[in-house]
Amino acid sequence: MNVAGVLKGEFLKLRKRPAVWVCIGILLLLLLAFGYLLSWIVFTYTKPPTGPNGLPPGVTYAELKKGLYPLHFIQNTLNGGTQLGGVLALIIGVLSQGSEYGWGTVKTAFTQRPRRLEWLAGKLVSVALTMLVMTLLLLAMAALTSFVLATIDGGDRTWPAAVVILKGILSAWLIYCFWGFFGFGLATLFRQSAMAIGLGLAYALVIEALIFGLLSQFVGDPVRKVQQWFPLANAQYLIQSFGPPTREVGANPRPPFADATHAVTMLLLYCAAFVILSAAFLQRRDVTS
Amino acid sequence: MVETRGLSKRYGNTVLAVDQLDLNVHRGEVYGFLGPNGAGKTTTLRMLLGLIRPTAGSATVAGHAPGDPAGLARIGAIIETPAFYPYLSGWDNLKVVADYAGVPDSRLGDALEQVELTPRAKTKFSTYSMGMKQRLGVAAALIKEPELLILDEPTNGLDPQGMIDMRKLIVELGKGDRTVLVSSHLLGEVEQMCTRIGVIQDGKLVAEGTIGELRGAATLTVRAAPVSQAQMILTRMLGADAVIQRDGAFRLRVDAGRAAEVNRELVTAGVEVSELVSGQRSLEDVFIELTGSEGGL
Repeated sequence: MNVAGVLKGEFLKLRKRPAVWVCIGILLLLLLAFGYLLSWIVFTYTKPPTGPNGLPPGVTYAELKKGLYPLHFIQNTLNGGTQLGGVLALIIGVLSQGSEYGWGTVKTAFTQRPRRLEWLAGKLVSVALTMLVMTLLLLAMAALTSFVLATIDGGDRTWPAAVVILKGILSAWLIYCFWGFFGFGLATLFRQSAMAIGLGLAYALVIEALIFGLLSQFVGDPVRKVQQWFPLANAQYLIQSFGPPTREVGANPRPPFADATHAVTMLLLYCAAFVILSAAFLQRRDVTS
Repeated sequence: MVETRGLSKRYGNTVLAVDQLDLNVHRGEVYGFLGPNGAGKTTTLRMLLGLIRPTAGSATVAGHAPGDPAGLARIGAIIETPAFYPYLSGWDNLKVVADYAGVPDSRLGDALEQVELTPRAKTKFSTYSMGMKQRLGVAAALIKEPELLILDEPTNGLDPQGMIDMRKLIVELGKGDRTVLVSSHLLGEVEQMCTRIGVIQDGKLVAEGTIGELRGAATLTVRAAPVSQAQMILTRMLGADAVIQRDGAFRLRVDAGRAAEVNRELVTAGVEVSELVSGQRSLEDVFIELTGSEGGL
């Protein structure tokens, strides 16, 4: 067994690959800008709109601002960082595997010592750990920013309970792992990056939303019963289990159709399915390039 | 060190890339796997390394089935162009290979030194010339200190000096107990480097032996006019299989001791003999006879 050796090699490759850091950097920057700074600037320096587009009765910017403080950083990060983060996790997953085919390095790996499935195991563990690093960086940045903003405002600097933080970390990690493994599986299937990123993005941004958007128009509510078996819906259930987005204070958001246990189970099953499919393709196919 | 029995690879119903190949590479030799482009050399080497599964037949490489980790631990290989990570330095690329192979990092310096790449070890692979990439490939193949080196067309894409350097390196690597299996479509290259040769054509091994064995016994070369009459006499005398006409001369597969007899027959029949030389066939002649191809000469 040489999974440890593969893991070492994969870490070196991921650590030194600029594309990985660009993806993580973009995610951190966007969450910082759109999740915190822009909202804070708007809530601090502008007046709320009035009329039909105004805030719900009894809601003020001062109250919305509290959503940016440490108590809500998990909620904020999950709501703001998981969809875009999912897309970037998908890209990292695709690049981790698709580039091997593009550069012809699959043959380099397979002519060393590891068995194909050992190589796969090492790669998937390294992708999962990269997702963990991404999750921790994202949450650390959100925590720090929320603390700084609360300090500037002289607001509440209470942190969420440790168990909520831990659940938040694990939830974000699971969602990113789903996306990373999805990308990895697509890259293994197509033996390239371009097709895998294209299809993955199409699914992330269009397909599931489009299918259920259209269906719900004709069929109505029963569509939600079907949707509960699909990954993006389950990612959303998991996020919603931490409470509604802080910007929806005063609104009356729809409760999630399924609970967090269902969501976690489904996302884990999808991760397992991508691992099994990748293993089957990798094990059976000839390496011809 | 390498033995195949009836090794075959078929793609779909039409393409038979390798057909019933029986190959024998002995320990300590530099074996040239010679054949024109598309003959099935790379497919065979990929099967030996477990990258491609054969459709039929079997192979033993370094005492193990192809692709077996215990066997791969004793094999260093370059298949087609060396493939590495462009954003990593030569050193880091070797480090990844060493991690995969379970080889200590202490081997990296030696391997780079052996291919004279130490000064550029810290620069990115994407900035390397073709020759440097090829040398890094050899270094990667060497870090396991392999008993068997499998090199697929290692001089492809190199400039003339690079080709000379690579051939010298291969000869050097083949000294001692190490076995080298090197594929090529270049006759001269194989002749310079190899102790034994296997010739592949259309997926079949058409000949295997030392260069001396393949060139065979001494033959006679005759230039005579008129050519048609000379051909008729020689064919009647020696049989059609023993007479090869090429470049206006006849190459006769007969013992050189029959030179006087051949000369007498031709002259008696009124044919003018301008040249009668005994000598061995070149490897080029052998290759053309076996494959009907002048590829890569």
